Amino acid sequence: MDLSFTPEEQKFREEIRAWVKDNLPQDISHKVHNALELTRDDMQRWAKILGKKGWLGYGWPVEFGGPGWTAVQKHLFEEETALAGAPRIVPFGPVMVAPVIQAFGNAEQHKRFLPGIASGEVWWSQGYSEPGSGSDLASLKTRAERQGDKYIVNGQKTWTTLGQYGEWIFCLVRTSSEGKPQTGISFLLIDMKSPGVSVRPIKLMDGSHEVNEVFFDNVEVPAENLIGEENKGWTYAKHLLSHERTNIADVNRAKRELERLKRIAKREGVWASAGGDSYASRFRDEIAKLEVDVVALEMLVLRVLSAATSGKNSLDIAGLLKIKGSEIQQRYSELMMLAAGPFALPLIREAMAAGWQGDFPGGHPELAPLSTTYFNMRKTTIYGGSNEVQRNIVAQTVLG
Amino acid sequence: MDFNFSDDQQQLRDAVAKWVEKGYGFERRRGIEAAGGFSREAWDELAELGLGGLYIPEDEGGLGMGPVEGMVVMEELGRGIVLEPLAQSFIAGAVLAGHADEDTRDSWLPRIAGGQALVVLAYQERKARYRLDVCEAKATKDGDSYRLSGTKSLVPAGDEADAFIVPAQLDGRIALFLVPRSEDGVAARGYGTQDGSRAADVVFDKAAATLVAQDALPALEHAVDIGIAAACAEGVGVMDKTLALTVEYMNTRKQFGTAIANFQALRHRVADMKMQLELARSMSYYATLKLNAPAAERRQAMARAKYQLGVSMRFIGQQSVQLHGGIGVTDEYIGSHYFRKLTQLEIVFGDTLHHLGEVSSRMQDSAGVFA
Repeated sequence: MDLSFTPEEQKFREEIRAWVKDNLPQDISHKVHNALELTRDDMQRWAKILGKKGWLGYGWPVEFGGPGWTAVQKHLFEEETALAGAPRIVPFGPVMVAPVIQAFGNAEQHKRFLPGIASGEVWWSQGYSEPGSGSDLASLKTRAERQGDKYIVNGQKTWTTLGQYGEWIFCLVRTSSEGKPQTGISFLLIDMKSPGVSVRPIKLMDGSHEVNEVFFDNVEVPAENLIGEENKGWTYAKHLLSHERTNIADVNRAKRELERLKRIAKREGVWASAGGDSYASRFRDEIAKLEVDVVALEMLVLRVLSAATSGKNSLDIAGLLKIKGSEIQQRYSELMMLAAGPFALPLIREAMAAGWQGDFPGGHPELAPLSTTYFNMRKTTIYGGSNEVQRNIVAQTVLG
Repeated sequence: MDFNFSDDQQQLRDAVAKWVEKGYGFERRRGIEAAGGFSREAWDELAELGLGGLYIPEDEGGLGMGPVEGMVVMEELGRGIVLEPLAQSFIAGAVLAGHADEDTRDSWLPRIAGGQALVVLAYQERKARYRLDVCEAKATKDGDSYRLSGTKSLVPAGDEADAFIVPAQLDGRIALFLVPRSEDGVAARGYGTQDGSRAADVVFDKAAATLVAQDALPALEHAVDIGIAAACAEGVGVMDKTLALTVEYMNTRKQFGTAIANFQALRHRVADMKMQLELARSMSYYATLKLNAPAAERRQAMARAKYQLGVSMRFIGQQSVQLHGGIGVTDEYIGSHYFRKLTQLEIVFGDTLHHLGEVSSRMQDSAGVFA
C-alpha cells in the first residue's frame, strides 16, 4: 500500500502542468474558473490545441495515434487540465465514438473517421435517447431499413448535447424487431448534413441552448457507415460503459469547484472564523461535509486506478462513481448559489458572458451564473444512466 | 499509487480471520459479554498471534509493523466484533516506544508484545467531551518520582488492565504518565458499554506515576489518532459483515411470495449501503496511509476519515436493522450486536459532529487527498 505517485508519474504531472500553462488560452480558463458561457469557438479552439499535441484522444492507444497512457497518467492529465481551468473535452468524438470505431470498426472506417476526431476538426454528437426511450434505452424506435447499399433512417433522437454544432452523429438505430429489444439494435454513423436530418433546439430552465432534438426523415446513410455487424450495436454501446472510466466521477473538476465555492463563501461572508455568526458557521460546516465527500470520492477513484494498474482487486464500482460524482456536482452548485444569498435571485443572461460591463444588482457580476449553474446541474443525476438506474446496477452486484 | 496488500499482509489478515472464524464464534462472544465483556484467555490468544506487539519494535519483542498491518488486523477483528481492545496495545506500544525512557521501555514493551501486560490509554474526563486539551488530572513531583491524582472514565477494560497511560497536568502543561493498576491509590470500577465490551472509571489518588513524556499534548493527539485509524479499520470490518448479513437475510426472507431482495425500494437502500461502505473503506485507507504524516496533515486526515466513518456506520447500522425488520432489533440475532458495535464506534475518539467541526476549522483554500 502506498499513497503516492511514482517519481516518473510526478514528472509526468509536471510536464502536463507546464504544457497546459503555456498552451491553455487565458480567456478560456477565465471563463471556466468563473462559469461564464463557453462558445463553440472556445470549445473547439481548445480541442484543436490538444489535437495538435496529440492529446485530444488522450485515452487512445498508440496504434491509433494516441499517447498510450496508463490509467494513472490519464488521471493526472485530467486533473492538471481541470485544475488549470481547461474546458471539459467535448466527449462525443474522442471519448465516446472513437473507442467504438477503434474496437469494432474496419480499417477503412479507422482511416476515414479517426483523424478528424483526433484533430478536433469534426464535431460529433450522440444519438442515443429518444422521446420514448430514456432509462429504458433498448426500447428505442428510430428505424434503419437496409435498401441495397444504404440504410433509410426514420425517427427521432433527443437530449442531443451540443447537437446544434454537430457535423456527424453516432446513433443507435433499430434494424430488427425480432427477439429481445437489445438484439435488434445497430450502431450507425450519420452525416448530419444529409438531406432529411433536422435539429431543433430545446431551451432548458437555465435559459441555455445545450440540448436538441434531432429528426431523421428518410435519411439515406451509406451501408459502409455501419460499425461492426448489424444488430450488434447494443454490445458496442455497452463496451463504452465497460471501459475503465474513472473520469465519470469528474473528481478533478469537483476539486476545482470546491476551491471556487470557498472563494465565493469568503467574499459573501459565509465562511465563519472562530466565534463568527451562526449562519456562517453552519454554512462553513456544509462546505466541510462537501470537502470530505470530495476527498472520499478521490480516494475511491485512486483505488480504481490502483486496481487498473496492478490488474488486482478489480473494482466494479463505476455505478458508485457516477452516483457520488453527480451528487457532488449538484451539491457544490447548490452551495455556491446559496452562498450568494438573496443576490442569487437576479437572472440576467447577458451577465453570464465574458466581458459584460453592466451593473449587476449588489455589484458583483461573478454571482450572475450561480443560479443558472445550479439549474443546469440538475441534469447530472439524470443523464448517463439515471442515478436510479445506477442503483439498480449496484444492487445487482451486491444482492445478485 | 497502490492499494494492494503484500503477501505478508495478506497472510496476517488470513491468520486473524481464521482465529476470528474458528476461535471467536458468536456463542463464545456472547459468553464473554455475559461474563463482563473481557476475556483474558481471548486476549492471550491474540497475543499468541503476535498482535499485541504489532507496533512495537522487534528489538523490544514486537513485530515492528506499521499502520497498514494494524488496519488489516482491525478490519478482521471488526468482522468478528471482537470485544478485547487490541488497539490499546497499538497505542500503548507506540507511546512507550516513542517517548518512554529505556528502563520503562525494557520493562513494559516486551510484556505488552507478549500479552502479559494489558496497558490502556486512560484519558477521558467528564468535562472534556472530545477535547484532548481539557484535563483536570494533576501530577506533582515527589522526589525522583511523581504522584498523580484525578479521575478517568471509559477506560477500556480498565479494571482488568495492568497499567494505564494517563495524561495529567504537570507545571501547567499536559504530560503523559504510566501508572500500574497495582499501585496504591488506584481504584477501578468496571462496567459494560454499548457494544458489550468492558470499561472502567479509574480514580487515581496520589498514585505513584512514571513520567513518559512532558509537554505531551502532541503525543496524546498522536495516540488518539492511532486509535482513530484503528477504529476506522474496525468499523470497515463491522460494516462489511453487517452488509453481508443483510444481503443474506434479504435473499432468504420471503414476503408477498418472494424474497425481499426483489423489491426495488429495498434494493436501492442496499446500493446506498454499498456506497457508504466503499466511501468508508476508502477513508479508512486514507487514515491509515496518513498516520505517519506530519501532525497537522495527520490530524486533518483523521478528522476527515472519522467523519466519513461516522456517517457510514450510522447509515449502514440503521439501515441494516430496518431491512431485517423485527428480527433486527432482537438480542438473539447477531445483527443487533453489529449495530451496537457500530453505534459505539461512532462515538469513540470523537463523534461525527465533533470531527465535522475539526474538518471545518482545518479547511484550506484547496483540498484533496494530497492537500
